[in-house]
Amino acid sequence: MTATESVTAPSVKRSRNLLPNRSSDAWRRRLPLLPALLFTIVLTQVPFVMSIWYSLTDWKVVPPGPSKFVGLDNYVDLVKDNFFRDAVWVSVQLTVFPVLGAIALGTAFAVLLDRKFFGQGAVRTLIITPFLLMPVVVGLIWKNQMFHGLYGVINWVIEQLGFSSVEFVSRYPTLSIGLVLIWQWTPFMMLIMLAGLQSQPSDVLEAAKVDGTTPWGTFRQLTIPHLRPYMELGILLGTIYLIQVYDQIAVMTGGGPGSTNVPYFVFQRSIGGGWEFGQASSYSIVVVIASIVIATIALRVLSNLLKGEEAA
Amino acid sequence: MRGALRHGWVAAMLVLGGVVAVGCGGGDSDSSDGESGGGSINVAIVDNPQMKDIADLTPELFTKESGIKVNYTVLDEGTLRQVTTRDVAAGGRQFDVAMIGMYEAPQFGQNGSLVDLTPFASKDAAYALDDIIPSVRTGLSVDDKLYASPFYAESSFLMYRKDLLKKAGVEMPAQPTWQQVADIAAKVDSSDTAGICLRGKPGWGDLGAAFTTVLNTFGGTWWSANDDGTVGQAQVNQPEFKQALEFYTGLIASAGEDDAANASFNECLAQYRDGKVAMWYDATVAAGLLEASDSPVKGKNGYAAAPVVETDASGWLWAWALAIPVTTEKQDLAWKYISWATGPEYLKEAGPRVEGGWAAIPPGTRESTYEIPEYKKAAAAFADPTLDAMASAPIDNPGTTPRPGLPGVQFVGIPEFQDVGNQCTQQFSAVIAKRTSIDAALAACQQVAAGVGGG
Repeated sequence: MTATESVTAPSVKRSRNLLPNRSSDAWRRRLPLLPALLFTIVLTQVPFVMSIWYSLTDWKVVPPGPSKFVGLDNYVDLVKDNFFRDAVWVSVQLTVFPVLGAIALGTAFAVLLDRKFFGQGAVRTLIITPFLLMPVVVGLIWKNQMFHGLYGVINWVIEQLGFSSVEFVSRYPTLSIGLVLIWQWTPFMMLIMLAGLQSQPSDVLEAAKVDGTTPWGTFRQLTIPHLRPYMELGILLGTIYLIQVYDQIAVMTGGGPGSTNVPYFVFQRSIGGGWEFGQASSYSIVVVIASIVIATIALRVLSNLLKGEEAA
Repeated sequence: MRGALRHGWVAAMLVLGGVVAVGCGGGDSDSSDGESGGGSINVAIVDNPQMKDIADLTPELFTKESGIKVNYTVLDEGTLRQVTTRDVAAGGRQFDVAMIGMYEAPQFGQNGSLVDLTPFASKDAAYALDDIIPSVRTGLSVDDKLYASPFYAESSFLMYRKDLLKKAGVEMPAQPTWQQVADIAAKVDSSDTAGICLRGKPGWGDLGAAFTTVLNTFGGTWWSANDDGTVGQAQVNQPEFKQALEFYTGLIASAGEDDAANASFNECLAQYRDGKVAMWYDATVAAGLLEASDSPVKGKNGYAAAPVVETDASGWLWAWALAIPVTTEKQDLAWKYISWATGPEYLKEAGPRVEGGWAAIPPGTRESTYEIPEYKKAAAAFADPTLDAMASAPIDNPGTTPRPGLPGVQFVGIPEFQDVGNQCTQQFSAVIAKRTSIDAALAACQQVAAGVGGG
């Protein structure tokens, strides 16, 4: 939402300053979009406004009773709720580490795949596959075929090396889920970075070669700054998607300390057994606000950081 | 221009996508009108083997006779509970018959969400109301009004490998105490075979069920009761609760199965059948699977009553049962279906037809089941221990102190228990996985439990 606004707002202003007479024309061009816009508003913003209203009530489905307006009580409780704080911390861990891990690995794979070699297409398809799998399937595969204490491949290797098996998912839930998320999101990041690498102008690279730059120097001085907007995009999209991870948690651990993130917590407090729709609505409102804030801040910070490096 | 065109495309796709989505939503709702003369009903059931059997047999045995078409929605336990709670308690209108458990039936019945089945049942001679096993009927009734008709029922007991215990030179008493079980587990525990399998997977119906029976017999409880039977104070911080949790998690740590924090009924069943555990405390319905013709441990098993400490009996009582939400307009059709599916006649018809044979028919609901000659033969090893366990399950007084939410052994029959049980068993499961300490888990659980009732 915010991203679109910040992109479109300046351009609209500019066109107005330059071509003041054309504003009615601009509206005529937007007219065909209006039904879609209305449709989107009805489907997204109306439920959102209803959620805001629910979050100000004590609506509880089980046991059924009348719901009444309680003002900001739900939000006050939320600040004091240590289970919610734990869930926020898990959400932070399960967003930051997978996004950074996937970006790092994705960039590495993209650089390797950017070179011509025999079977490039096949390899690229294979590497993309994890991203095409259903999240639930990914969770089940990793839980039962990779991490499992008795039947898992990883534990088989560990035992062959003479160590005793590790019950990854129950012992280290955050790490296990984080690894799965990195595995699934690396291809996505790789695709974005690959697009970036392939749009690099070849004459600049040739000029660098002629000037005698080392490959590492070229990569650091030319390629990385060129990839900056692609990284920003990857981090932004990755954060938006990973902050709402639910499926892998549901099938791998079913929640619990160290694996209940905020979306799973909202599920548990609402239809997952808590049935406190008022309270749960207040959590989701906070999540929406936090997502917008985080996405904005992350984008600004990162943008400045990389700009500074480029200048230096 | 190209940009505008592209935006137009995106908008068109959005609109189209929306129309398709709405179209799908509309399509679902009118599927309830049947074409056949007898009409049709929507039924939600849990995905256990016996329920899948009845779904397969319905066209042949029921629809052909009555002309009533049955649309099944088969869901796993957790999802079924979410859907039925939404549908029954919150007044959705999706289902004409819903499968609920012994935890929900009295609560939904009391708050007026379910149709009282007693008038239907007493008029219907083929249904044989008095044939239902009394403790099961009590558990599904409020003030003698039956709110759900039992499809299968179970208690809990201790299963053990006679050969392994003999080899270790120990004998299992018919009514063991938990201390005796712990001693035996320590003796038979070896590098390839764990002493005992206990549930460690989070969930009030998983770890919560097994642990609560242990808690009861250790003299603990989740909540104290006020004089009128409502929830008093949370009792998770009491010494008995800690003792029970220390015993349960300690037994798993010293002689329990591998990956216990992920193990529930199915995982323990697999490990027991593979010979990886020597004992297993779980639902009586498991015995039918251990003695099945394809079981590697067939004939090697003994069955003892649920272990006790301070009470005389500790086994749980559970039933999956069919109920009619008050919101349905097809009560008569719904009853016809329930009368067939949970009546004595279905059990006799199913025996020769289901894949698992006579031993796999839905057990524990009717006294007449245990008089069918073929069933008596197929279930010889476990029929009597099962019936004894069900008869002795202390559903009205499972512990040593007054408590709310009765009847109920392995759960507290109040709406909030589902949530409290889930959150607390996540903490206890973390103790089993050695991720947190008993004291930290109990403190967190006490905080959750104290949010209910007066606390």
